[in-house]
Amino acid sequence: MTGERPLEHRSPVELKAASWSDPHMQPAAKHPRFVERIIALTFIAGLALFALFVVAYWQNWSAWTLGATMGAGMLFIGFGLVAWGKYLMPRGPFVEERHDLASSKEEVEAFTNALVERGGGTLQRRRVLGGLLAAGLGVFSLGTISLLVRSLGPLPKLTLTETDWKAGTYLVDQAGRRVTAGQLSVGSVLTVFPEGFQNTDNGQAVDQTILIRVKDTSFTTVEGRSTWAPLGYVAYSKLCTHLGCPVGLYEKELKLLVCPCHQSMFDVEEGAIPTFGPAPRPLPQLPLYVDSFGFLRAQRGYDQPVGPGYWERTT
Amino acid sequence: MHRSRANGVRLAAASIIGTMAVLTMLSVVGATGAAATSTTTTTTSTTTTTTTTTTTPASRPVPPSAHPTTRFNSGTPNSTIRIFNSKGQLIQYGNQFVRYTLPASSLIPYGEALYSVNCSACHGADANGHPAAGTPGGPYPDLLGLGPATYSFWINSGRMPAAQTPDVQAVRRNPKLSPYQASAVAAYINSLQPATPYVPVVNLNGASLSDGAQLFSLNCAACHTITGDGDALAWNTYAPSLRHVPAQQVAEALRTGPGNMPVFTGNLTDRQLRDVVAYVTEKIQHPQNPGGLGLGGLGPVGEGFIGLALGVGLLALVGFWVGDRT
Repeated sequence: MTGERPLEHRSPVELKAASWSDPHMQPAAKHPRFVERIIALTFIAGLALFALFVVAYWQNWSAWTLGATMGAGMLFIGFGLVAWGKYLMPRGPFVEERHDLASSKEEVEAFTNALVERGGGTLQRRRVLGGLLAAGLGVFSLGTISLLVRSLGPLPKLTLTETDWKAGTYLVDQAGRRVTAGQLSVGSVLTVFPEGFQNTDNGQAVDQTILIRVKDTSFTTVEGRSTWAPLGYVAYSKLCTHLGCPVGLYEKELKLLVCPCHQSMFDVEEGAIPTFGPAPRPLPQLPLYVDSFGFLRAQRGYDQPVGPGYWERTT
Repeated sequence: MHRSRANGVRLAAASIIGTMAVLTMLSVVGATGAAATSTTTTTTSTTTTTTTTTTTPASRPVPPSAHPTTRFNSGTPNSTIRIFNSKGQLIQYGNQFVRYTLPASSLIPYGEALYSVNCSACHGADANGHPAAGTPGGPYPDLLGLGPATYSFWINSGRMPAAQTPDVQAVRRNPKLSPYQASAVAAYINSLQPATPYVPVVNLNGASLSDGAQLFSLNCAACHTITGDGDALAWNTYAPSLRHVPAQQVAEALRTGPGNMPVFTGNLTDRQLRDVVAYVTEKIQHPQNPGGLGLGGLGPVGEGFIGLALGVGLLALVGFWVGDRT
């Protein structure tokens, strides 16, 4: 730096000694004793309320008392602080001029000269430097991509398309009891799981199925599923095809399943096709049969992935 | 001037951010607290002594159930206790958890008189849903063969007799008929075509609230919400609030499935029914709100909205007031 000029070019602000007649002083400052007494009173009130809060907590009083004492205590302390600050500080507005921000002509020239002088030697090696810079950025970007790939977690493999429902799996309730064909009355619902999986993570998350007795005679929900609903029992995956919420709201007279998250409605008698809401596909239906002992079992697993869509999914 | 205004804005912004953080923490604490209280309390159930009393000869007639199930002790005459009167009529069944009782047959004439005044205009003189020719509206529900519990529920919850035909679903009102009159009407309609379920009386002694809470969250909370305040369903129907439903009506609704509600016969045993009823009448209807106000139990969205609108708005005003020094 070549500048010899003085560091400070500030225009000095006139700082007057505060007097009570000064228009910048708060009007409150004219009665200092009164104001100080008020402030002291608020601090005492806050202190007392905090003490009361401790007592209330110690004596296990109601939550209302705890909140009220602590809140009011904070309010009083805060009020006192604000009032004290206002009382101490003179009232604005004040104007403080900045010094000139632009560099002087000599400073600009000196800087330019220095840059040219140094650059003459350095810039000849610019190819090496440029190459190193590109390499550094390249490693950085490759590293960033590799971090993303590393964070992806294991591949889902078959878990997206397969559940624990297999041919002949017994339907059991939450407690693991097998469901018999005479158990549910018409209009009843039950959340069922494949036997042995009612307490597993996968069972609770993916396998959960809602069993509804819509009527007391076998019926066909969709063409080609004539044997899937014996004795009026129909079973659908409980995972909404929109975002996977549990579709557990069965309306007996409307014969609708309603998803609580986004109000998708599925027509139970028509293969759970969505009649309202954002769900894009029908709920997958589990084919059922009644075995010779009267237990409800699955003919086979779901014929399509359960739950919401994902990008490889074609159907 | 500018500087002090900027200070005020900065203060207001800081107070808003601070308040939001505090409210978020409070709502999280409140939610977890509410969830915790619903599951912690446990009452150990009494030891059950299996008493198979009053075994009945096969010849005795048992009225058919409107909601048949093969599961033992779950709301049908297939129960531990069955009591017949001298004419061989089943008048009571159940077990130590729930007793299902037939309204006294001596009430039938009184019930018939009440029926003709209050019900027959829509449901018809034969209670089959066909009123006299020329009655507007309809078709009206067929009342035959539904069991006394159904009639008792609809009358005692004030939904029937309705002032006018309900558009979507009948609403709970102050009952027009007294419980005694409701029993009489139930006795009369049931005498036209006897059926079960009979009117349940739940013995809440020794109920397990923790089991009740689990069953509630599994079976009821989907529609009635976890706080029991009810919620909207499809096509203007809704699940009503459970806040003011007496124990007997909870049991009747579970066993008969009024309106769009599923029937819980066969998927709940009488013991589980007792636990659910106890949980509804003791916990759902007397919620403990650790934060003070329950805010209607509408969940985090409603709580957050009220917190933002009231709390932040108020604090923003205070912030402006504190920061405004001119």
